[in-house]
Amino acid sequence: MPGRRDWVGQGIRREQRLGYLFVAPMLLFLAGIIFFPLAHAFTTSLYREAGVNVRFVGLGNYRRLLEDEAFWNSLRVSVVFTTASVALHLAVAMPLALFLNQLRRGRTTLRLLFLTPWMVTPVIGATAWVWLLEPHFGVVNYLLRSLGLISAYKIWLGEPALALGSVVAVDVWRGFPFVMLILLAGLQTVPREEYEAASIDGAATFQRFLFITLPHLRYLLVVATTLDVINTIRTFDIVAVMTRGGPVNATEVLPVLIFNTAFQANRFGPAAAVGVVLLLLLLVFSTVYILLLQPERAGERLR
Amino acid sequence: MTQNRLLNGAVWTAMLLFLGVVVFPFYWMVNTSLKPMSEVFQSPPAFYPSHWTLAGYVNIWATRLMGRYFLNTAVISVGSTLLAMVLSALAAYGFSRFRLRWEQPLILVLLLTQMLPGTLLIIPYFQLMAKLRLINNYLSLILAYVSFALPFSTWMLVGFFRSIPLELDEAAMVDGCSRVGAFWRVILPLSLPGLVAVAIFTFLLAWNAYVFALVLTTDPKMFPLSVGIANMLGEYQVVWNEMMAGAVLATLPVFILYGFLERYLVQGITAGAVKG
Repeated sequence: MPGRRDWVGQGIRREQRLGYLFVAPMLLFLAGIIFFPLAHAFTTSLYREAGVNVRFVGLGNYRRLLEDEAFWNSLRVSVVFTTASVALHLAVAMPLALFLNQLRRGRTTLRLLFLTPWMVTPVIGATAWVWLLEPHFGVVNYLLRSLGLISAYKIWLGEPALALGSVVAVDVWRGFPFVMLILLAGLQTVPREEYEAASIDGAATFQRFLFITLPHLRYLLVVATTLDVINTIRTFDIVAVMTRGGPVNATEVLPVLIFNTAFQANRFGPAAAVGVVLLLLLLVFSTVYILLLQPERAGERLR
Repeated sequence: MTQNRLLNGAVWTAMLLFLGVVVFPFYWMVNTSLKPMSEVFQSPPAFYPSHWTLAGYVNIWATRLMGRYFLNTAVISVGSTLLAMVLSALAAYGFSRFRLRWEQPLILVLLLTQMLPGTLLIIPYFQLMAKLRLINNYLSLILAYVSFALPFSTWMLVGFFRSIPLELDEAAMVDGCSRVGAFWRVILPLSLPGLVAVAIFTFLLAWNAYVFALVLTTDPKMFPLSVGIANMLGEYQVVWNEMMAGAVLATLPVFILYGFLERYLVQGITAGAVKG
């Protein structure tokens, strides 16, 4: 029957058109609000402000970044901030997830309580920490000295090394619950029989963790870490509120450098250039993340 | 056995101690918000207010624009939520009910959109909104937050819609419903948990957002809570009890939402990462 195939083909084509009609509003929206501005950002990065005018400089802004001490400093700070935060998120989240997972009762309540730093508006959480860390009347100094952990009150956000440490600490406070949630969801997929079999064989708790839990979690650990890197490297709110990148640029992570260059110094071109560099960095991690999310391919990779 | 119990006790103690550290900032927020200024600047700090007062709360409403901040944040969050729900539900229906040839690349684009740095996007977006005279306008913020929420919302809803058997739409259409009728009467009611998750996700995203509002609002009357409260840090002498009162008020709606709806949200958020 020659006519039938035609008819079906047309039907599918008509259906396709209707389907795209449903998707179209969202796509148009993203095109206007995200992709058009993004393209504009690339163009902006090719210009430089000169007085009231802007001048086309091609890749000049990028070339200048290579010799820009502020940029290299910012990249260094971002690497330290992200590495330290992500590592500590994992170090805190893993034992917590294991603990919550084996609870018989109270798991939901405890999970909700541990989730609170992640629930609160980042800016609000950061303001509370600025008060806690206040040098003269802040409670952190008082508590740490009472416990004998410091001998004199510290100016937490006023000295370069301390400020970076403080910002990382607050980001660990805010960021660990997300990693904990993902690991907890993963732990619930580990088959219970395997544990039972292992306890019959007399395996100790640590051995069970090493030989049953970890292999099951390995894939999820990599996914959670990649996702966490993507989120942490973009952190702006906490740092902007706590230090604005100071003192002497010690906490100026890349997003804060971009903001300060664009909206404090009014140098949109160079700021956009730093933004594009950050975008490229993110693209690397995003590619890893997306490849990981295709389980059939990721399976081969991680086995 | 006793050794086991000892270990168990140690683990519990460590966990509860850590929990204390984690929630302490919230306790301190409430504690400070109830102190008079004389007690705020007291050394050593008092762990509970000895003359507790609501002055911080009263002042922040009476002498500052707290009411406006609240109104602004509420309008922006509710507006974003409604728009994001409509757009993501339509798109998710398209993805889940039609075999679109471009589905894979489109989903990939959605995923990538989520990873863009906001601090880069705000530069061209600010220039664009300045040209359109949308600075100090709710619309510029709503449009931005909706577009940030859309990729994840759509992805989450596609999952929910796919779990509803196709036969149900077909049955409705055999019974005389149009496509849109089937979508409205069958799919939407059945995916209510998904829609709730999308709504909370977008609402919280808008409620918590900072950098876009920091750039796109210059008139204090248009500040959302995040910008209004953070700006108080720039004052010559920070009025901590008022500031912490503001922080408590800004946090309450979020905690109430989570208290009721944590399950929905946690499911939605972890589903993406675990199932892939």
